[in-house]
Amino acid sequence: MTTSDHRPLTTYDRRMHRLMNRREAARFHATAARRRAWVVTHILLTVASEAAWLGAVVWEQRWATWTMLGLLLPWCFATGVINSSTRGLLELRVRALDERQRAERLRVAALAQRVMMWVLLAATVGAGVAALAGVEVEGLVFPVLFSVFVVHWIMPLWMAGLTARDEPDLDDDEDIAVEAAGAA
Amino acid sequence: MSEQVHNRLAMVRAERKVSRQRLAEAVGAHYQTIGYIERGQYNPSLDLALKIANFFELPVEALFSLEPFRPLTDQVYGRNQ
Repeated sequence: MTTSDHRPLTTYDRRMHRLMNRREAARFHATAARRRAWVVTHILLTVASEAAWLGAVVWEQRWATWTMLGLLLPWCFATGVINSSTRGLLELRVRALDERQRAERLRVAALAQRVMMWVLLAATVGAGVAALAGVEVEGLVFPVLFSVFVVHWIMPLWMAGLTARDEPDLDDDEDIAVEAAGAA
Repeated sequence: MSEQVHNRLAMVRAERKVSRQRLAEAVGAHYQTIGYIERGQYNPSLDLALKIANFFELPVEALFSLEPFRPLTDQVYGRNQ
């Protein structure tokens, strides 16, 4: 890799690199519309899972626990598809990325940071308005902070999924033919 | 800020019968990066451009240029544009 991090890839790095570059899920994220749909699905699943977690932990609702467990598998699947669409841009260590991927990772982080600023502003204004309206905000502190934390954690993944470009594999057949011709 | 860098990578790669994957492995890049360079969606660093040129044993200006490349047939047969 053309990187300033010259440490050799570990077994873990190589395994993750192979995993993130598997082509089986390529058709799920082949177009921008599909990638957007997966990100929207992931946002909805995250919001639902977060609400269920808060329901289970804060409000001690038993059904919420089962809901959360039920949402876990689809959430993991959607996360996997988005990671596949970015070829592990955020999952792989920097040493396993090339110069373009490292630049994209920085760009995604900057974009996520800008979007998070507006999310935090909305949360701050919302809390202020609620307090002025006489709402008991003490009980909302933990749920709001937890929600903002989760959004902050996952925002780079959403941004990476939304800004990922179509894979340059349109001439795969040609590439395979070229490879075969070279091997012959 | 980023100026378009024109390249003949796809043509040379096809001519030499080298797949994106093989070129990517040889120069330490991701196969997508090679594809984005070919599409003009990513300008490689000098380091990567030199590695690619070195792989094909060509001068870097044979592969990359700030000006659009003339069609090869024009260059070979000397037709003026």
